[in-house]
Amino acid sequence: MDPSVPPPTVTSPQSKAARYGVWHGPKVFLLWMAMATGAITLSVLLVLMVLALGGYPALGILHRWIIGAAGNRFNWAASVADACPLLLTGLAAGVAFRSGVLNIGAQGQFLLGALVSVALTTRFIFPGPPWCVMVEAMAAASVAGGMWALLASVLERYRGVPIVLSTILLNFVALYLVRAALHGPLQAADTSAPQSPQLKIIYWLPILIANTDFHLGILLAFAVAVALAVVLGRTNFGFELLITGLNPRVARLVGMPVSRRQFAIMFLSGCCAGLGGAVQVLGVTHFMLGNFGNYGYTGIAVALLGRLNPIGIAVAAVFFGMLDTGARFVEESSLALPHQMANVVKGVIILAMLVASAWMMRRGSRDQSPEAGEPPTPVDPQQVQS
Amino acid sequence: MNISGESLGTFLARQTVQAATPLILAGLGELLAELTGVINIGIEGLMLIGCIAGYAAAGISGSGGVGLGAAILAGMGTAAIFAGVTVWSAADQIVAGAAVNILAVGASGLAWFFYQNARQAAHRSVSLGRHVGFQSVAIPGLSRIPFFGPMLFDQYMLFYAAIILAVLIWLLLHYTRTGAILRALGDAPEACQAAGISVRTWRTGAVLFAGACAGAAGAYLSIMRTHAFASDMTGGQGFVVLSLVIFGRWNIPGLIAGCLLFGGINSLQQTLQTTRYTSHATLMHALQHIPFEFFQMLPYVVALLALATLSRSSPGPRYLGQAWKQ
Repeated sequence: MDPSVPPPTVTSPQSKAARYGVWHGPKVFLLWMAMATGAITLSVLLVLMVLALGGYPALGILHRWIIGAAGNRFNWAASVADACPLLLTGLAAGVAFRSGVLNIGAQGQFLLGALVSVALTTRFIFPGPPWCVMVEAMAAASVAGGMWALLASVLERYRGVPIVLSTILLNFVALYLVRAALHGPLQAADTSAPQSPQLKIIYWLPILIANTDFHLGILLAFAVAVALAVVLGRTNFGFELLITGLNPRVARLVGMPVSRRQFAIMFLSGCCAGLGGAVQVLGVTHFMLGNFGNYGYTGIAVALLGRLNPIGIAVAAVFFGMLDTGARFVEESSLALPHQMANVVKGVIILAMLVASAWMMRRGSRDQSPEAGEPPTPVDPQQVQS
Repeated sequence: MNISGESLGTFLARQTVQAATPLILAGLGELLAELTGVINIGIEGLMLIGCIAGYAAAGISGSGGVGLGAAILAGMGTAAIFAGVTVWSAADQIVAGAAVNILAVGASGLAWFFYQNARQAAHRSVSLGRHVGFQSVAIPGLSRIPFFGPMLFDQYMLFYAAIILAVLIWLLLHYTRTGAILRALGDAPEACQAAGISVRTWRTGAVLFAGACAGAAGAYLSIMRTHAFASDMTGGQGFVVLSLVIFGRWNIPGLIAGCLLFGGINSLQQTLQTTRYTSHATLMHALQHIPFEFFQMLPYVVALLALATLSRSSPGPRYLGQAWKQ
């Protein structure tokens, strides 16, 4: 990079990054922690208040929720296992959003990854030892997810289709591709439902802590988070991804390969989601259904809570996993409350965080920038294509 | 399924319109909101909230009208939260929409739980009586027209409302000052601002209207078409609505065509899965050999192709998804 050109000010409050909460510095981090704590407290209190009004013991529910989430090593392991797919879809959303690319297609990329991994471990098994088959399945799933995401990027680059719209549509195309495959070539022999056969036990990811759900894929997911943190935060490549997404014009002026980097953002994002699908199949479910969760959409929320930072996303995913596992514990207890209540907590946290960070941003822009009232720059299709 | 007394074509046409009605309703609201520059991917959640609010209110009051009113209010209330976060705090619309979806799953689950408990405590049935929800209304005379009668004039009341609404909005958008403002909000909010029009207030209005429409669509699902509630009963229809607005390229006739196409494909699929045929055997057997998922995929593929081939001129409202900071 030419040293005479000053790097663009990505910390400017007007930048797209700031919209999603990418700031730097310990002060901002502490403020974010305070906001998150406040939002979590607010949402838990809200739910407990509603339940108390309905005649349920609020303190007893809270106690069971915490025990269920992290009371012993089994519950801990269940929470982290729940967090694993959310972490990978969260990373998928985070990688894209921090560059201002609105990839909301993690759901479809996740599904395709799961499908490819099922195909490579049930019907089309390459000869080789089981670990080799599993590695192939996970690698192929990542590539499948990445290619699916790349499709949206190509549509934007060459046809001017906004990624936010194409990924919504591609999610559905992926969903029905998956169902067609599960009804057709990958269907289990003894059913008429869209459902794959169960994987042979030799193709299950090994459990690392006996009698829990703590499988090898969890370590892998956290390793991916750390690797992404290093690549995005500490390398030229990561910086180029950030700049090409946020300000293509500046990136072009300083000589970055803009369109290659824009493709890389989507490919990397899709890879994370695809790997998430494979890990969920090989590590937890060991077969696949036509309905395979909503991890892709929840990943967007996880990414925001984690400040679009890979390590933050890991923390946020574990927290969401704990909410879910704890809520299921409450459901199975004598209170029998529906586990969906965890979703109320999640939703309120995200909405509160959005309002709080918008407020923070407005304060920041008042303090730092004279032209705070400037309208946002719209995405100009001509500019995207040029 | 018994389809005696009606030919297969008539039956399918009627089912198609029935399946398309909630999509048209929710789509009209979403289309208006997107024209003003607000994309709400939480439409799925708003519909789910409408489902449970309509069902519970109809069950408790014993009146379908009260249920519909409650669903509309609940949809607007949830949309008001969304508007507060996105329009007034200028937060990201995609993330806020995803949060609304998550929130709605939780809130409807809790509400359903409380409703069941309350009904059981009062020794009342959880399910709706047959007379409680809405029945379809046949328009005298017109409903006897062959084929088109059952399809267009023997439907639920909300279908007629949706069609009237569609015509009104189309007229509004194309022939009034209000319509010009609505469309300008998404394409040139700075011009609106300069003309003394409050961008935020107008956008809030559009979002609230979308919430009301989505709530009504939810009520259609729970108290008209099925008379039941299930925690996953919207089944992705909110996202279908988002896709169909794109499919129709932000035009009302296009939106309705997309809804009918989608409804037709779905009702054909359900009929294939649940009916045994004596007549029409050849056609139906031929169709059963093609994996049905490919038909279901069709609207999305067409929408993608439409965007990819035509979008250079206008890929939707210019400021779609962009917050307005005053």
